[in-house]
Amino acid sequence: MLHIERIREDIISLGHHAAQDRQARRKALALAQIWLDEAVEADQLRVHLAPLLDARHAAAGPWHGAIPCSPGKIDHHRPTEDVPLVDLVLIGVDGSQIYPDRHALAVYYLLQVGALTFRYDGNTPTVHTREWLRYDEADLYDDQGYLIDGETLSMERMVKEMEVLADLVEQERRSAASPIFALSDGPLLWPYLERGTRTSTHFSTYLGALHNVQKAGGIPVGYVDRPGGQPLLDLLWASRLAPEELTTRIEENPLKTLSDDELMLKVLAPGAWTPWYTRATATNRRHAEDGQEIWFCYANLGTQHGPAIARIEVPSWAAIQDAAITALQAALRHQGSVLNGYPYVLARAHEEALVTTQDKTTLEQAIQRELFSVGILAQPSNKARQKLLLGRK
Amino acid sequence: MITTAQTITIGNVLRADIRGFVVASRIPEPEVPTFGTFVSAPIQQGHAAVIGLVYNISLQDDPFLRNLAVTVTPGDPRSEEIIKDQRENRVIPVEIAVASVGYRLNETSAYVYGFPPQPPMVLNSITVCDEDTIRKITASPDFLRTLLDNRDVPADELIPAALLRAADLHPEDRHGFLLSAGRYLARYLGRDPVRLERILTRIDQD
Repeated sequence: MLHIERIREDIISLGHHAAQDRQARRKALALAQIWLDEAVEADQLRVHLAPLLDARHAAAGPWHGAIPCSPGKIDHHRPTEDVPLVDLVLIGVDGSQIYPDRHALAVYYLLQVGALTFRYDGNTPTVHTREWLRYDEADLYDDQGYLIDGETLSMERMVKEMEVLADLVEQERRSAASPIFALSDGPLLWPYLERGTRTSTHFSTYLGALHNVQKAGGIPVGYVDRPGGQPLLDLLWASRLAPEELTTRIEENPLKTLSDDELMLKVLAPGAWTPWYTRATATNRRHAEDGQEIWFCYANLGTQHGPAIARIEVPSWAAIQDAAITALQAALRHQGSVLNGYPYVLARAHEEALVTTQDKTTLEQAIQRELFSVGILAQPSNKARQKLLLGRK
Repeated sequence: MITTAQTITIGNVLRADIRGFVVASRIPEPEVPTFGTFVSAPIQQGHAAVIGLVYNISLQDDPFLRNLAVTVTPGDPRSEEIIKDQRENRVIPVEIAVASVGYRLNETSAYVYGFPPQPPMVLNSITVCDEDTIRKITASPDFLRTLLDNRDVPADELIPAALLRAADLHPEDRHGFLLSAGRYLARYLGRDPVRLERILTRIDQD
């Protein structure tokens, strides 16, 4: 039980802090807009950034700011063109999981991937689901003998999602000559640091699946709703520094209280996309070595009254295909228009992938019955049972 | 929906009494049973079975549908795939209400017209009756009795729907089957000619 009266002063202080913070953010946002307006051409910016990238690469690790890839000014926005939505396919994928729990009646974990193939041909979209039940000790425990953590499971889930996309693109390619966009809910750029062989193996498998999507004629697309991070704001700060200040003052960004999506909410009109950027992170270099460097842009899939900022990620080889990107932009605009700015295929993929509490109960009952049939009376731990009772209050 | 050579399972009992039961189902729209479908539910530990007629089907909404309801436009080509997906792929929660008309005590016994001795238990599976079962339960127009007395169901619509469905299973004497049912209704509703006319008119409209 929480004694609210004991933390009343802290709650009041939290309110004051939030008000001050909002004031500071407004000022920072105004500054960011000015810097964006005044930013020079992408070519000049890349030249300007070169010493920073070289220095960072050699010494203190990569700079994580945005590196402009498209020609022209970085405040240029590309509106959605009114192209007919015919003969293109959008495959959305998402996943969910049951985490391993040492207090459960059996130690296992489950991954489920759901997908929706949406063909712009007037026919009913197709639903797909695949699931993996892991119970082997080699899967459940890490090298130190600890039960695998949520991050490891998320890695495997990301790999499975991309593998399912690769399979579905290959199936779809047999009957469609049109562009096939393989859309995943989350970043396309591998977001995990390489720590240990398991991470490395997952990363390699992921890159392989990404390559398979390409080989099957699909275009992988990562969709990040309400993106955090500030690579563009870091670029704006870098653009204000003199060349000799780049390595010494790069960490002093006065916009660091903001995130890119706050700036985009101010400047990006409904339907508009920013130019392409990339990032010189360690994982993106590995992507690049495999021919899958990831570029990103920001998009507003919402309306005048309900903006919806997303980060769109695609491999560099796809970002330069103008016709395909125009079609993708129109398709995502349509997808977002029916669901408050969020792509319909991803919402449905999520729905299909979701393992509900009821699903989990049904699965555990089936496991319990199976164990009982082989003479094992399995029960959750006392702690788990007690939690269950308290949860019913 | 699980289909075998003999049975089509439509869902599980959610709540029940001896007059009828409600089935919770999550099946795509094309497979939702229609008004007047004969269904069967096990009772008494599966030794007996109650037969009933579907008299109401309600589709539940959800936040997803509420969002789409204001953004998609039927007939607009840009909404076509989404509407088809919602109707044919999504497992929209469906509640199917069934009115009891009779039961049988075991596999070999004859059907008894009236309310069963027990309602089906919750979570028992409900199946659509096969043609043979419908022929047997409708062999006598007495199966209409519980419907005529049940004020909680739209009996005046349900009786014609059930009779026409059953008549199709008596092709050799369809007219005779309907005539016999009409006579039964005339006797039962002798004091309510308005209601009798309403039911007979609906049968005649077929």
